[in-house]
Parts: sequence; C-alpha cells; structure tokens
Amino acid sequence: MFDQEILTHNLMKDYIRDLVEKGQRVDGRGLYEYRPIEVINGTFTKAEGEAWLKLGETQVLVGVKADLGEPFPDTPDKGVFVSNAELLPVASPTFEPGPPDEGAIELARVVDRAIRSVDAIDLGSLVIVPGKLVYMIFLDMYVLDYDGNLEDSLTLASLIALGRSEIPEVELKENGEIEVKESKRKLELKDIPINFSFVKIGSKILLDPTVEEESVSDASITVAINKDGKVCSVQKRHGTFSVEEILNIVNVAKGKWPELASIVREAI
Amino acid sequence: MPLYVERKPERLITEEGMRTDGRLPHEMRPIKMMVGVLEKADGSAFVEWGGNRILAAVFGPREVHPKHMVLPDRALIRARYNMAPFSTPERRRPGPDRRSIELSKVIREALKPAIFAENYPGSVIDIFIEVLRSDAGTRVAGINAASLALASAGVAMRGLVSACSIGRVGNFIVVDPNHDEDMWGDSDMPLAMMMESEEITLLQADGTLSEEEFKEALDLGRRAIRFVYEVQKEALKRPYYLVERRVV
Amino acid sequence: MSEVVLLVRDKEVVIPGQPLAKGKIRPGKDVYVDESGTIRSKKLGLVSLKEDEISIVPLVGAYIPKEDDLVIGIVSKVSGNTILVDIRSPYQGALPIQRRAERVDLRKYDLRVGDVILAKVRSFDGASSLILTIDAEGLGKLESGYLLEVDPAKVPRVIGKRQSMLSILKEATRSEIIVANNGRIWVKPPSVKELIALEKALKKIEEESHVSGLSDRISSLLSQELR
Repeated sequence: MFDQEILTHNLMKDYIRDLVEKGQRVDGRGLYEYRPIEVINGTFTKAEGEAWLKLGETQVLVGVKADLGEPFPDTPDKGVFVSNAELLPVASPTFEPGPPDEGAIELARVVDRAIRSVDAIDLGSLVIVPGKLVYMIFLDMYVLDYDGNLEDSLTLASLIALGRSEIPEVELKENGEIEVKESKRKLELKDIPINFSFVKIGSKILLDPTVEEESVSDASITVAINKDGKVCSVQKRHGTFSVEEILNIVNVAKGKWPELASIVREAI
Repeated sequence: MPLYVERKPERLITEEGMRTDGRLPHEMRPIKMMVGVLEKADGSAFVEWGGNRILAAVFGPREVHPKHMVLPDRALIRARYNMAPFSTPERRRPGPDRRSIELSKVIREALKPAIFAENYPGSVIDIFIEVLRSDAGTRVAGINAASLALASAGVAMRGLVSACSIGRVGNFIVVDPNHDEDMWGDSDMPLAMMMESEEITLLQADGTLSEEEFKEALDLGRRAIRFVYEVQKEALKRPYYLVERRVV
Repeated sequence: MSEVVLLVRDKEVVIPGQPLAKGKIRPGKDVYVDESGTIRSKKLGLVSLKEDEISIVPLVGAYIPKEDDLVIGIVSKVSGNTILVDIRSPYQGALPIQRRAERVDLRKYDLRVGDVILAKVRSFDGASSLILTIDAEGLGKLESGYLLEVDPAKVPRVIGKRQSMLSILKEATRSEIIVANNGRIWVKPPSVKELIALEKALKKIEEESHVSGLSDRISSLLSQELR
C-alpha cells in the first residue's frame, strides 16, 4: 500500500511502546477507545446514498450507485454488489495516483465481506427478472485523509451510505422494455455488521489505531460483529496473535458494537 | 443499462434570456469556497459551485520520485484531474479516461504560469483535483480550487489563477453554463486568468462563435473571473480573520 | 511629497499576487516587482513593513534549507560512506562520514535507519546538494523523547522573541524542548498529559500566530490543560 517505514522513526517507536506498556496512548485515549466520529452534513456526490465520515483526522467519503444489468452466472437469483476502494493521493503524501494496490483491494474486500457475510443487503430483493435483469449496487469508497484505521471508518460510512440509499423503481413492460419510474425504493439494511480494527504493540492490544500506532504495531487484525453479537468476518494482517488475544479482541468488539451501531442508525 | 435517461429540455433559453435554472445570461450560480479541509495535504481547498463539489489538494514542493524526472533549475509541476465514480448520475468506472487526461494537462498548463517554479529547483509540486459531484464547469471550478490549495500550501506564486466558463445558447452569450447548456448549448468556452496581470492561462472552446460573439464571451469571462477572484481571496483570508474575531 | 504609495498596512494578511506598494521602497523577502513597477506578494503571508523595505512573512510553506540552520532529521538510508537524512524538505540531506572533523568520535556516525538526529546545515547549493553535520557538541542522535511538527513558517513564533514563547512552553510543561528550523520539535515531557498540552499549544500557535497577545493565550491554555 505504502511504505509504512517512511512514516516511522525510532523515537516514535520507543515512545509509543513505552507508553502503551503503561496502558496509555499518545493522544490520551484508553486502549479500547475510539476517536471522535463525525458524520458531515451535506450533499457531496450524485450517489443514491452517501456518507462523509470523520474518525479522528481520518476522512472518508462513500457513495452508493445503482445500475441495471445481468446477474453473475452462478447467482442468477441475486442482485450484483460490487465494492471498490481508492486510496486517493490527496489523503497522504505516501499515496500515489494509480489503480488500487493490494492495500486498497484488501480494504474493499474486508468491508465487502462484513456486509456480505450477514446479507446486510438482501441481494435477492434486487432481482427484476431472474437470470436476466437485476439491480447492480456499486459501493465506491474514497479515502480523503489518512490518519489510520481505514477499515472501520470505511465500514461505518458504507453502512450509512447503504442505509440512506434510494434507488429508482423499475417496471418491466410486456414488450420487454424497461421503464424507470419516478418512485424510489429504499435499499434497506438488514443488519449492521461493524468492523473493529485492533493492533498489538508489545503485549498490549489497542482499538482504533492512528497512523503512527499502525506503523509501530507488531500485528493488526479486524473483526466484524453484527447485531446478534456474532463474528461475521475476520481479517488478520501482519504479525501474530495468540488464541487468548483473539478471544479478548472479539469480546471487546462485541462490547463496542452498540456504541457504533447507534452512530450508524442515527446517521441514516 | 442506464437507470438515468437525460431528456433535452424543450427550451434552453427564452427570448428574454431566462435560462433553464431561472438565471439570466449574466448571472452566476452560487459559489462557496473553503481552504484547509484536509490534514495530510500541504494545502487543500473545497469548492461548491452550483451542484459541483470539487476537492483540490497540493503536496509540495517535495522530493521527486522517480528521480529521473527531476528538473535541475525549477520545480516539476504535475496535475491530476480525476472524477469520482459517484460524481455523475451514471456511475463512472474508476480510473483516468481520455477526457481526464486532457483536462489534467490543460489544468497543469493553466496553473504553471502562476507558480514561481524557479524558487524550488529539483523538486516537484503535485496538484490533485477530485471531482466528487459534477455539474458542468468542473475544470474551471477545479482550477479555482487548485489555486487556493497552492496558495494555502505556501507555494510562491505570481498570483491566483481564477477561472470561469462562458457559453453560447442561441443568440445569448451566457456566463457559467449549467448542465443543460453544457450538453445542448451551442458553444462552451472555459477561461482562466491570472487576475492581477490579466494574462489568460486557459482558453478552450467548442461549438461555433462568430468573432463578435467570441469577443463578447471573452469580455464577459473577464468580468466573471473578477468576481470569482474576490471569492477566492476571501476564502484564503477567512481563517485568519475568523481567528482574529474569536480571539479578540 | 511621498514617493511611496503603500497599498497595505503592516501585519496585514495578503495573498499571492496582491499589490503591496509602488515607488521608492525596497522589495524585501518573498515579494516580486511586476512590469509596472508594483511590488507584489509571492505568498500567503503577513506584510512586514520597515522604513525602507517591504517584505512578506509567509504564514505557511515548505522548509528550504539555509546554512547553519538547526534541523532534526530522520535517517533514511545508510550505505557505505554516506548517511541520507530526511529533513521534511524537498531536499534530502547527506551526512558524509568522511567529511567529519578529525577529533570527532566515529561512534557518533554509528546510525541506523529510523534514528532521529539533531544536525546543522553545513552547506546547500540551492538545488540538489544538501550537506549536514553532526560534529559539534550537542548534535547527533536523539535517544529518547518524541517528535512533534509545526509548519516551518511558524518556527520563529514557537521560539518567540528572545526565546520567550519557548520558555513559556518549557516551564509550563516541565519539558525539554528543542525547536529546529525545519519545523520538527523534539520534546521530552514528564508524562503524556504534558505531551498533549504541548500539542494543543503548538496547534494554537500555528492558528493564531498572526494575532498579537499570543504568549498570554498560550500561558492560559497551558495552565488550563495542566491544572
């Protein structure tokens, strides 16, 4: 994705490590505390549903667009749902313009997985003519300002954007023509699968890492929890975790779900 | 298969000059500009112009990568114009298309004359313009945003570059064409100038304009740009006098 | 009869290209003279009006190295006889090991990628060759503490006249602080509470540097944060 080494220096590494061993963080937060989350008001896109969200100084903009098309051959009775993430060069001196690299692709897939695992969007309800015509839902995630934890911020923004989405209703006429109606239908969220990202520094686990904490971390992982407290998707990135650490992480994530879910609900 | 069908309006402009959005020929759409919207960029600006939402960011002067592109006597200036997939009614595939590549070039050429590149030999100044929402006139709005981003990054400049488009709809020369006029009008002329010296740094046109019409368009453009310049100036100074007011 | 036409006041915020003055006045820093003889600002900054000279003090901008500047750098590459150092500038610094003064301990040059060093600018040719030195006493690797950053244009304000602002910061937070010209600030605060207070103070200095009375406001902020 970008050379994290460029961002770090040994003072940062040592200072953060020492602080974390004492259970403290450079910005004064608790180990399992989120930075302030803000959903910005306004219309910034031509999406069917959008959300501009801030998590600390990380800023993301997600837009949901709908189109009509053919379903995938292996799922003729389901609408199409495609996720894409872009690490815009405006977001960080380390992001270069160009097609998504492995980091951006992984990000999109992690967000997508959380949503898909619990069928947060009922793809079956997006079928117009099975095997022939379905709605295609595009989730485009734009990273505008990078200060760590893109997984959680993009997931929150995506859920809000999806929950706010209204897509034009469509009628298939007898002569085979498609009429796009004036009326709209809401793309309902059937679940709120939220991603929680953690890093390990030394022996401690931290929630919602900043970009510095990510760069000095020994390991990182993201788990998604849904409304029933189930683990719906997991992605470990670099480093190693013990079984105990993972179980603790899941426990913390479950405990945090209500707080973040209410932010999503309020924004929708 | 599109979910959105564009319909050409019956009349683009009435005999009295009333346009599809209710404006008269010399009226501009509402404009709002602000700087400092991004943390990581060296300079940034956000422009709301009609339905446009445009974000610009500047990094630099900074080290050049790849090294072989270094210019020994001045800064390398790079610009990228990009449209978000959700910026248009029909989703756009991410990535540069031919239009974006052309616009990136003319935008770079519109901004370059204003920059004292010789102050920063061996470095690069990167300009990024992201169109989040498109509503006709994105390249001029982008140039305005980029000028602000450059100034707020502390880049040495001869002056701000200000831009506006002028169009022709039938017999009317109109300022700041809207989407309908851009799509179905008779001519579109984006124009950018360094206001202080009145030098033109961007000039493009399509459609047809008689010599008279061209002259009228340039004149109207100059006046419109003067107005845009004042908006830019205010946006750059605003954070400083807001602080002054807050503190006193 | 005035031979100078002033178009702005001292300490006014001006934008690039803004006309400042015409006539018998010397163009100082960060200004240029246009074809008609009008002196204009090159940058977003504050007017600095002296008796016979008009300059601009930029409010923002990249760090351009000057000889004898104090800089805090991060070692980015160690190879053979040269150590390359990132100094948060368009220009990368080089620390040539062979060029060190004879009496200097070679161990000072035992640096690794990621090490933070306090150095001085030995020479800069303006375009590509930036040579640093860590020979002098007090220069070299910084062992502990943390790094904060401010816009390089704000460094003089962080230091203050006769180090007045820097003293306020040091005393109120009981921290060791070194402010380098390239906008990097090394700090060693007694605890994270003071670190956060320092960050807030620096942000406030950056935002309010153009409004007088800043020292009092910073003192007041720090006493609130560290109550």
